[in-house]
Amino acid sequence: MIKVLLADDHGIVRAGLRRLVEESGDMAVVAEAADGDEAIRKIRANRPDVAVIDLSMPRIDGLEVIRRIHPEFPHLPILVLTMHAENQYLVRAIEAGAMGYITKQSAPEQLVRAIRKVLGGSRYLTGDAAESLALRVSKGGLDRSVLDELSTRELQVLRRLALGHTNREIASAYNISIKTVDTYRFRLLKKLNLRNNAELSRFAIQNGLIQA
Amino acid sequence: MSANPISSVSDSQMSLRHILLVLSLLAFLSATAGGVLYYASLRQAAFHEARQQTAAKTELVHKRLNSLLSEHRKNAVTLAGMPALQQALLDKTPGSLERANAVLDHFVTTLKADVCYLMDPQGETIASSNREDEDSFVGQNFAFRPYFFNGLDGSNWAYLALGVTSLKRGVYHSSPVYADPPVRPIGVAVIKASIDEIEKELALPTEDIVLVTNEQGAVFISSQPQWLFQLAWEVGPDQIGQIARERQFGQGPWQWIGLQKIDADHVTDRNGERYLAHRAGIDRFPGWEIVYLRSTRLIAQSISGPLLRIVGPVAMLVSILVGVSVLLLYRKASREIYRRRNAEQALRQSEKRYRSLYHHTPAMLHSIDRGGYLLSVSDFWLETLGYRSDEVLGRPLTDFFTPESRKYALSEGIPRFFKQGSIKGVPYRMVKKNGETIDVMLSAIADRDAEGRIQRSLAVSVDMTERYRAEEALRVAKEALDRYSKELERQVRERTSEITAILKYTPAVVYMKDGRGRYLMVNSRFEKLFSIDGDAVHGKTDGDLLPAEVAEQFRAHDERALAKGISLQVEEQIHQKDGMHTYLSVKFPLYNETTGGIMGVCGIATDITALKNAQEQLRRLSGSIMANQEQERTTIARELHDELGQLLTALRMDAVWLQERLRDKDVKGAERAAAICTLVDTTIEEVRAMAVRLRPGVLDDLGLVEALELFTNEFERRVQIACIFTHNVMPAVDNAIATAAYRIAQEALTNVARHAGASRAEVRLQMEQDTLVLNVWDDGRGFNPDALSQVRMLGLAGMRERAALVGGTLLVKSAPDQGTLVALRVPLALSMGNAA
Repeated sequence: MIKVLLADDHGIVRAGLRRLVEESGDMAVVAEAADGDEAIRKIRANRPDVAVIDLSMPRIDGLEVIRRIHPEFPHLPILVLTMHAENQYLVRAIEAGAMGYITKQSAPEQLVRAIRKVLGGSRYLTGDAAESLALRVSKGGLDRSVLDELSTRELQVLRRLALGHTNREIASAYNISIKTVDTYRFRLLKKLNLRNNAELSRFAIQNGLIQA
Repeated sequence: MSANPISSVSDSQMSLRHILLVLSLLAFLSATAGGVLYYASLRQAAFHEARQQTAAKTELVHKRLNSLLSEHRKNAVTLAGMPALQQALLDKTPGSLERANAVLDHFVTTLKADVCYLMDPQGETIASSNREDEDSFVGQNFAFRPYFFNGLDGSNWAYLALGVTSLKRGVYHSSPVYADPPVRPIGVAVIKASIDEIEKELALPTEDIVLVTNEQGAVFISSQPQWLFQLAWEVGPDQIGQIARERQFGQGPWQWIGLQKIDADHVTDRNGERYLAHRAGIDRFPGWEIVYLRSTRLIAQSISGPLLRIVGPVAMLVSILVGVSVLLLYRKASREIYRRRNAEQALRQSEKRYRSLYHHTPAMLHSIDRGGYLLSVSDFWLETLGYRSDEVLGRPLTDFFTPESRKYALSEGIPRFFKQGSIKGVPYRMVKKNGETIDVMLSAIADRDAEGRIQRSLAVSVDMTERYRAEEALRVAKEALDRYSKELERQVRERTSEITAILKYTPAVVYMKDGRGRYLMVNSRFEKLFSIDGDAVHGKTDGDLLPAEVAEQFRAHDERALAKGISLQVEEQIHQKDGMHTYLSVKFPLYNETTGGIMGVCGIATDITALKNAQEQLRRLSGSIMANQEQERTTIARELHDELGQLLTALRMDAVWLQERLRDKDVKGAERAAAICTLVDTTIEEVRAMAVRLRPGVLDDLGLVEALELFTNEFERRVQIACIFTHNVMPAVDNAIATAAYRIAQEALTNVARHAGASRAEVRLQMEQDTLVLNVWDDGRGFNPDALSQVRMLGLAGMRERAALVGGTLLVKSAPDQGTLVALRVPLALSMGNAA
């Protein structure tokens, strides 16, 4: 049986989650925590196989829990479960040491699959979370002088242009106008002193924004 | 007057100069001529003397030569008479010849002759004293010699010739030898004397040239040995032929030595040298002459040498003296001429000036004679009274006076003048030709003759009409000014009392200072505020009167107003009994009306403490309202997001669970469950959006950068224009500041969406030193900041208020078609303590 720890300050939500976990058949919730402090204590006490942690909790929030637990139990997979759909939270969580990230909204469909995936040693991410993460990582690790001046959106557009997406595709991907995409493209060429999309691609590869 | 006096003066001066020059030259010339004449006469005398000397010397030579040449004449006769010779000629035996030779030897020896010899009638020498010598005459035939054939004719003969055998010059004396009875000569006895010896005896002078020549001019004896047997004068070839025939002077050639006769007394030689010549004949030698030549050059030298030595320096000195004195005199004379010319010119000029002055002086000048008649008047005099000069000259001066003035002049003025010799400032009234009268002030002095009698007056009349008129106008103006200034004073008094009342009762503090900060005036509020007597402030500065911190503020602000030259509004803090008061002060420079320079500064300060307090309260209130609102929004947003959201997710889980359960058993039920699920999803989205609109959780959870990133992304999606957000590394920012920045960006972008019509917006967040700077810029149509609608004005005011609450400033820069920039600047250092 897979030992699962659930940390969420909402009893009803916790109950729902517990049901989801236990219905899987091979997983058991070995501990529940209503706040971060309790979560840390119970992880230390019960040594679960996987920890499912909400980000918004009283006293010590989820991010802090991850920051403390991860160095202590580097092999314990942590799955973040949150109300926040914004990718900014996701990036922080992954940086802190989480292996997976799902919204509570998608829990019924994805929780069990996500637990299995992180237990298997893989990341579990949904939607454009992977892209955000990739951008974040490349921005963090690369020649800062060049990329620092680029906004996140510019990086996004740069990456997609480099991958060969059309303006229309990019516009629909981010729900922005084609004209806006064009504006970004023009600014990118000017800022990076490039002439066309081919040069943009080369730049993106050189800077690790995409894989060659 | 001359048309051109200067040139005529210079002409006369020039001619005078010429005369002077000529005189000087003449003086110099006569001195020189005297010298030359003196020299010439000396020379003449010297030549005369030389000629006499030459004659004397010639005579001397002549006498001595005569005696030397005729020394053996009688001896020859004696020799010829010797019986031994007679015998020898007759029998020509060796014995007789021996005896004859002995006689001949005896004669040579005793007479110191050269040779004595005896010739037979055929001219052959049969006995001779030199018979033993190489050049022995014995056996020689000298029949061609004149002394032989003339001797044979019975004459005693003397002859000068170069010996053909001996080649020695000699004088030959021959005498006939007779047999008994002496019918005809049987031979000739000859005594030859050496000319060389005679020449020695003669002791010819070396400095002069002496020639003894025969009739053809052949030189036989000379002081110049090279000239011997040459020809003194040029002769024809037949004469040379004769010389050759006579064999008298050897074999020749007989060349001309180049002397030429110029006149009786002078000859020149080949080189053109001139000689004084004197000639004399030689007794018993017809045709022969002595020529005595003296070089005129040497004669001249013999005179001029010593003469020049003595007379030269004297003559030079005299010449120089003469020259110098001539020069000096000439210079002196020309200077004198120059001085006179100048004086003359000055005189003429001064006369001209005087005339010019007289006529052009803008004063009425005239002269009268003793009778009171006008002798002359100036042009101005005529001009003033309107007359021509021929209308006035010769008339009595008093004709031009008014009757009263005339009476006074005749009875008093003119007599007094002629008594005293001068008069000063007598007022008269004169009548112009057109009948107008003018007032004059007459002054005059007398012009006297050599005896001191007054001849005429020199008078000047000054036109006083204008002055009298001006004086009158001045008086009237003065009175008007008096009245006006009294009125002015009254007005000033009124205004002063008004202003004084205002200053006294105004609640404002008023003071005036000069340019150096010294008080000129303070009002009663000032006195009360600082407990100072108003009369004591004059001339004192802030430092003298006020508490240090107040003085410092006043001084600094006043100086600023003075420096800028315009009015200035500042707030000043003054401590009073009930605490610190704030005053709004208006400071403005006081300008000097006439010079335009700043002469001081005036300050009017109003106590706005109550106002300030109210403003501060209001600000605090609005701040707390905003903070409360924000707090409340946060709470509601969190509750919406967390509580309601969590409940909805729990509900969704149940709905999904239900759907799964019913999927196989109850298809309709499953569909209902799926519908619930969808509905819950929609609700969750709406709740989340609502929460974010109220206050984004990211701002609290992750910070300003993430919140702005999210917002700009959302904005792009919603408004469909590019919204570029850039930032540099941000420190954690205080929640209040983050909120203010977020809300300001939100408001600014909302305005962009609503009003700008922009195609692009940029949001830039950065740190500049310790200041947080947020710029929101768009490329839209912009606006005129002075002409905004009430609503947008309020919007801007709200942003400003938020900025002010966190101690920042907000700048809004825009102009039509220039886009809009909203810039927030918040210094962080103050609020770093409670950073989130």
